[in-house]
Order: sequence, then structure tokens, then C-alpha cells
Amino acid sequence: MARIIVVTSGKGGVGKTTSSAAIGLGLALKGHKVVLIDFDIGLRNLDLIMGCERRVVYDFVNVINGEATLNQALIKDKRVSSLSILPASQTRDKDALNKENVGKVLEDLGKLYDFIICDSPAGIEAGAMMALYYADEAIITTNPEVSSVRDSDRIIGMLASRSRRAELGLEPIKEHLLLTRYSPKRVAEGEMLSVEDVEDILSIPLLGVIPESQAVLKASNAGEPVILDTESDAGQAYQDVIDRLLGETIDFRFLVAEKKGIFSRMFGG
Amino acid sequence: MADASIEFKGSSFTLSVLHLKSATLVDIRADLAKKVAQAPDFFYLVPIVVSIDKLNDDIDYQGIKTLIEEFNFTFVGFTGAISKEQRQLIRECGFSFINMAKANTVKKPLLVEGAVAEKPKAVIATPQRDLYTDKIHRGQIRSGQQVYAKDQNLVVIGSVSAGAEVIADGNIHVYGSLRGRAIAGATGHHKAQIYCQKLEAELVSINGNYWLSESMEEHWASPVYIQLTDNELTSSKLI
Repeated sequence: MARIIVVTSGKGGVGKTTSSAAIGLGLALKGHKVVLIDFDIGLRNLDLIMGCERRVVYDFVNVINGEATLNQALIKDKRVSSLSILPASQTRDKDALNKENVGKVLEDLGKLYDFIICDSPAGIEAGAMMALYYADEAIITTNPEVSSVRDSDRIIGMLASRSRRAELGLEPIKEHLLLTRYSPKRVAEGEMLSVEDVEDILSIPLLGVIPESQAVLKASNAGEPVILDTESDAGQAYQDVIDRLLGETIDFRFLVAEKKGIFSRMFGG
Repeated sequence: MADASIEFKGSSFTLSVLHLKSATLVDIRADLAKKVAQAPDFFYLVPIVVSIDKLNDDIDYQGIKTLIEEFNFTFVGFTGAISKEQRQLIRECGFSFINMAKANTVKKPLLVEGAVAEKPKAVIATPQRDLYTDKIHRGQIRSGQQVYAKDQNLVVIGSVSAGAEVIADGNIHVYGSLRGRAIAGATGHHKAQIYCQKLEAELVSINGNYWLSESMEEHWASPVYIQLTDNELTSSKLI
């Protein structure tokens, strides 16, 4: 049975697609068969982050409408052969998806892959509901900032009421909190919510804390998910997330500001 | 039960109260005549409660009732009796004794005498709202969710998130942080209370009287209960 994981947040721009790409690639690098689905119909981004935008021929909506087969639409990642991407359509809107057909596609993918990662659009409308409906697990991507936390709270409520598992009275969706763009320095200065604050408000288990990092923007522009940048703190933090998803217990890193050494203090590093 | 021909319910009414300063029937008649003469239509068949709190003993209850009815009032009952004996006497004469709603909270002497415990059971016009059952919600109530306990108290085992709303016709208990809105006594119940382990609410309301966060500074982030005293919200620390 494939694990269907939705990466969601409510609020836009918090790092859903970046996280989907990093987690998908990370799991594939561990040898698992992974498919990444872009549910953000009309605002196709995942292919850019994955660096496969030039290889998109058919998309998710074509498959839903029976205009293409899954095999035609799936793009195999050039770096890791066990990873595929199902891109969104850029020319359609979110009403192009319907529950029944999405269910059918997920069922077919479930036979081929170990992990199905659903990159959700922002908002709480039909598109986001479609992305989370069939999920077994959810990664709630949140910035340490009040509006993001409140939107995440709203989405967590939706997971518990609007998903297939909720409707059928099955075991609820397993929730994971992924805190992104975390800056220990700004937390210390009282400008940002701390991990503890966010955990207290949302009260769901913490999956990872990704530090604010220049490496993320660089990686996105290059179409190389940041998890490949093993030198960067963000890349390492995503690596920890993968290990935790696979059941390991790993201490959280990058939670406190690094003490400046004597040289950087002298030269203003 | 649903198709029974009658149903008992408590309701509050505003009634005119005639305060007697003298027990002498002749004096009462004279003053009453003057008053009624000013506006006979206004007083015609008006339900009236007679307060005897300013009188001592030796009251002719039957005489007062007859007198009141001579002037075309509708006699309802007596109020304001302080001693147990007086109340007993009123009942023996076959009249209702009515507790004034405010007397319990405002007048200290009543409490000091331990009269609360001896309150007659059949109190008219006091809604029987203390019999609410509990609606229990397990787990956090998230932003955008609303939980309403109709004709019940609401017990939340978990926190109420900012942007969430909990409403009850009775009391609200939150075993967690209250960050959203809590509306107790929603259909009009001034005795409703709100309890929480950590008060960080956007709004709390009891029987239509509300506070926004800025009014909660005194006990912010503390375990608190909130109640209505003389139509003003007050908060007190739980521990």
C-alpha cells in the first residue's frame, strides 16, 4: 500500500512546493518509489522546482479527462529513476479535477509507487480539498508567523472533517508539522514565533524545522531541490525530515542561533 | 412526551411591585385611592406583587389582598418577607411567596442568615436552567470550526484555537487554552459561566455581555472563570 502524503498549509508562499520537491526526491534517494503530483492546477510550479519544466507534454488534467495515459503524463526524474512527477495543467483551472477521477488515478499510482506526495495549492477551496481528500498523512507546512499558523490551524480542522478518512470514519489522517523559514536569531529577538509557540498552538507532532536559508532560493531557481545541497543547513534539515518520515528518531537541529566566532565578530561576518 | 398538551417552562417577567410602608389597611386604602385616581386605566387589571419588606409582624395578608383587588389590580403574591415564619404564614393563608431575583446576589443579610439554603423550592419566575447536561468535545477546536451545545453546557477537552467559536446555552469549560470566541448563556442565561485553563480569548460573552481581549488583561494567560455580576462580566483566577 502506497502512503499518500499531502503537503498543505492553507497560506500561500510558505514552502509547500519546495518541501514537496525536497521530500519526494529525498525519499527516492533512499530507494523508495515515489511520485510527486502537482495539484496546483493553473499555477504549475512543481515542474520548475524539479527542473523538468521543458519535458512536460501531458499533464494531470489530461489524465483525468482520459486524453492521455498515466505513463504518457508521468515524467521520470533524470537524477533518480525511482522518482516521477505528474505535472499540473497551466491552462486549466481547479474545477478540472473531480473526486472520482482523482481517486482512480491515485489508485493506479498506488500500485506502482511506495509514496504519493500531493503538492496542494494554497487556500481552502476545491483545489486544496481535492489534494487532501485521499491523504493518509499530511505535512502541514507552516512559517513561524501568526497568519501562517492560523491558516494551518484551519487546514488541520479541514483534514479532520473534509477528508475521505473523516467521511468514512476511518483512522484520522496522520498530521506532521513542518516549520519552514525558521530563523533562530529572529526568534531570540522576539520577532518570530518559536518552535514551542507553534507546537503549543497547533498541538500536532513536529516533523521538522527548516532554517531560513539562501540555499533554498538558489535551489529553486536552478531546478535542483535543496535536499541535493548537502552542505546547506536547509538541505540537512530536509534530510532529517526524510529519516523521521521513515520512522527514525532524530534530534532537531538548527533551533538555536549559531554563536559568532571571534573573527566574524571582528570582521562583521 | 412530545405531544403532551402542556409544558412547564421558566420565564422572566417584569411585574409591578407595591411596596407597603404601613400595615394599616385604612392608610393603604387612602393612598392607593389617590394614586389610582391619577390614572385609572393604567392600573386596570395590572398584575401586582406586594412587598412587605418594610413591615414588621401583624400583617393582615388576606385583608391586603382583598384591598388590592378592590382597586382592580390582579393580585399575584407577596414578596420581601425576611423571616421564615412570615413566609410560612403567607403560604398558610394560601398565597404565593415570590423571591425577588436580585435579592440573592445583592442583599447581604439574606446570605448571612443562611437563608439561601432555606429558599422555598417553588420559586416562581426563576428559569430552571441549572439542569443542563453536558456536551463533551474531545480534541482541539480549530480555526474556522464552530461547536454549539444547544440547551447544554459545553466541555472541551483540548484547546479552542484563535478563529474558532464555542457556543453553549449553558456554561463553557475549556480544559486547555481558550484562544477563540466563547459565548455562554447564548439564549439568555445570566448565570452561565466560562471556565478555561488559559485565557487568551478573542471574545468572551455571557448572556449578551461581552469582552474583547483588551478587557481580559488582568487575568491574561491565567486559569480563569468568568461570570456575570450585576450585568457586568467579572473574571476570577481559578487557582
